[in-house]
Amino acid sequence: MATLQYILKRLFLMIPTFFLVMIIIFVLVRFLPGDPAIAIAGDRASDADLEAIRERLGLNEPMLVQFWLFVTNTIQGDLGSSILMRAPVTEVIFNRLPTTAFLTLYAVGLSLLIAGPLAFVAALNRGRWPDVLIRTVFQVGLSMPVFYIGLILLTFLAAQLRWFPVGGYGDTFGARLYHLFLPSVAVALYTSAIIMRNLRSAIIEVLDAEYVQFARAKGLPNRLILGRHVLRNALISTVTLLGLSIGNLMSGTLVTETVFAVPGVGRLMLEAIFARDYPLIQGLTLTFAVLVSVVFLLTDLFQSTLDPRMRLT
Amino acid sequence: MKRHLLLATAIISTAIAAPAFSQERGGVLNFARYDGSNLIDPIYADRNPDIWMVGSLFDTLLRPSADGNSVVAGLAEDHSVSDDGKTVSLTLRDGVTFADGTPLTGEDVVFSLDRAREPDQSPWSGLLGSIESVSAEGNAITINLNNPDPTILSMLATFTTGIVSKAVFDAAEGATDQEKSAAIFASGGPGVGSGPFYLCGFEQGTSMKFCANENYWRDGADGKPLPYLEGVNFQIIPDDATRILKLQSGEVDVAEFIPFSRVPELDADPAINMNLFPSTRIIYSPINTRETRADGSPNPLADVRVRQAVNYATNKDALIGLVLQGAGKPMTSPLMAAATPLSTNPGPLYGYDMEKAQALIAEAGLEQGTEITFTTLAGSADDSTIFAALQQMWAPLGINLVVEQVDGPTRGAKNRSGEFDIHTYGWVNDVNDPGQVVGWLGYTPTANAVGTGWDNAEFNALYEASQTEIDPEKRAQQYADMQAIYAEAAPLLFMYETPFAVAVSASVDGYVQTPLGNNIFEEATVSR
Repeated sequence: MATLQYILKRLFLMIPTFFLVMIIIFVLVRFLPGDPAIAIAGDRASDADLEAIRERLGLNEPMLVQFWLFVTNTIQGDLGSSILMRAPVTEVIFNRLPTTAFLTLYAVGLSLLIAGPLAFVAALNRGRWPDVLIRTVFQVGLSMPVFYIGLILLTFLAAQLRWFPVGGYGDTFGARLYHLFLPSVAVALYTSAIIMRNLRSAIIEVLDAEYVQFARAKGLPNRLILGRHVLRNALISTVTLLGLSIGNLMSGTLVTETVFAVPGVGRLMLEAIFARDYPLIQGLTLTFAVLVSVVFLLTDLFQSTLDPRMRLT
Repeated sequence: MKRHLLLATAIISTAIAAPAFSQERGGVLNFARYDGSNLIDPIYADRNPDIWMVGSLFDTLLRPSADGNSVVAGLAEDHSVSDDGKTVSLTLRDGVTFADGTPLTGEDVVFSLDRAREPDQSPWSGLLGSIESVSAEGNAITINLNNPDPTILSMLATFTTGIVSKAVFDAAEGATDQEKSAAIFASGGPGVGSGPFYLCGFEQGTSMKFCANENYWRDGADGKPLPYLEGVNFQIIPDDATRILKLQSGEVDVAEFIPFSRVPELDADPAINMNLFPSTRIIYSPINTRETRADGSPNPLADVRVRQAVNYATNKDALIGLVLQGAGKPMTSPLMAAATPLSTNPGPLYGYDMEKAQALIAEAGLEQGTEITFTTLAGSADDSTIFAALQQMWAPLGINLVVEQVDGPTRGAKNRSGEFDIHTYGWVNDVNDPGQVVGWLGYTPTANAVGTGWDNAEFNALYEASQTEIDPEKRAQQYADMQAIYAEAAPLLFMYETPFAVAVSASVDGYVQTPLGNNIFEEATVSR
């Protein structure tokens, strides 16, 4: 019951957040130099053409009227029509969203698979060569830009060895796992480096905690100590970190989707900005805001189940 | 053993002999594009990724000749212009149909040309401004003109006069012509055009499919109907490096817009044919010629001697080496690519001459250390290279060149408002006539002479006269005069012409990109 109340309260608090996001994005896109009418009609269009386009898009209305229309339409679930795609913004976004969601979750999954075991190995061998080796390798991963990692992976694993396709995203679940493997790895290498460092120090901290010393003294088997006491407690900060890095992951898709030719919302955002597609930029930003807010909420909920001491207020 | 040998000989001899008398037929070509189409329609195509595909889906009454300097029969098997230059008569080919097999009639021609010249609908209607009326009787098409128009035949071979099906438009959903067009495009299918292909798949921003039109009227070199391919699958891959990797991994057969820095490497690959198709693309930089800058300060570039000086001080060959790895040539006509009809070719335009440049600067009395802003496209490696080179080349003139990086729409807005000193720009002809590019670059009423603010009464009068001059010699003289005036006034930094760099798998033959940029697939073949 308390949890439900908490969720409702959090959802209610999201409303002012979204309103703020709407104001900011509305003002920001209109401060971008460059006229959407020129972006649509091209540099060669006549002034009369541009005027007609502005009229059609409602860009000649006063700012406040435009903002009022934006807010009222959004509340009714109408994000307007994309200038670039000539289709409703909601439809355009929902067509592309599953691909990005898949890519992001895939990358998170891979990050955990890579970072989890290695963090344990590093922590348990603190200061010895496996620890140093793992940390060095991840340091390199952390300092390389995602697009560069992406191009290296593409060049060797896709173009030369031909183990993976260079781009695209497949039709079936299996095909998607295969097609999106390289882009996910490119993103995961960066995220897993962050997670590994965090998890490693969390594990070390927990290993030194008195209750773990006590469990050892009790003669509990190592497997049980690590599984029940160490992992659970070390995970708390990692989950928070993962939740917080969702924003990073999302912005990472802008680059990854472009390099790997994956038709998701990240690439869509880039196209929308270059085309000065106001409705689409607004719609995408709102979608990102909703997603990030929901992930934050889920993170908090998950944290409280891991650690009952954290009260949901 | 003997039998095997015999069989092997038979196979080999067939394989050798086969290409001699028949083209490889069938197969699907996989094509990696730099950008996707939005709406391929003869009148609503307003970006190159749309314009360049119109010809694959729609036919025009006439077609450009192979050398690009005249027109040949298209949907119309013959054509003539009356002596007073005010009537064009054409005869529609017998038995031509749209891709779904329904007949293409004079009614469709009238409908298509009327919608193309409707100013409220088509951004290209200005190209057909001379047309007074279009009528059809059976296969005879008559176009009456308000005034003689030297470009009319070229326009009938241009994408915007592509013929669409009136019946399909009448039946389509939508309140306006544009809505109908969008609905027809979204549903795809063979009914609307008579080009070598029809649209059979489309995913916005991702992919597109063309399927062969089984009813296409033209025959190929082997005497059988075109096109040879079953279809073309397009994938949109904006990233240059990824597009090339796709080709190298064999996932696609063609990758367009190869960055020039990668050309030598792909040229050396035996599995790839690195094509540099001649184009009408020119790279130039408009110079603000107004007396004062947008902020009210005096504009040093208003002095023609300073503009001439920067042109002389620019080593075009060095730029071409740096930016294009040598795959380009300096502009020779100040107003158009050399491949455009009526371009004059007086030799190097402002050949590199630092002494002359410095003399002009001294004569103009330009203050040492004068700051001039060069506006480039953010993220464009070419533009960055150009800036770095010009900064060095112009330093001996006492010019302190500083860079300002913006994106495309911002650059367009600056060009219109005159808030720039010099900025990079490019142009590809859309039509096979110099009228369009000269109107854009030099004629003040069109767009302030490409935003430079240059306004020359003699030039403008020549341009207006040339628009109705049907005597080819007189018109050629008018264009020669305009080019001489423009070169002298130097409202541009004249730079270079670049080809279209397209990398094609060795298994593909016959793919062409025309000087106007049009992608031509009908004679392409692929052997797997």
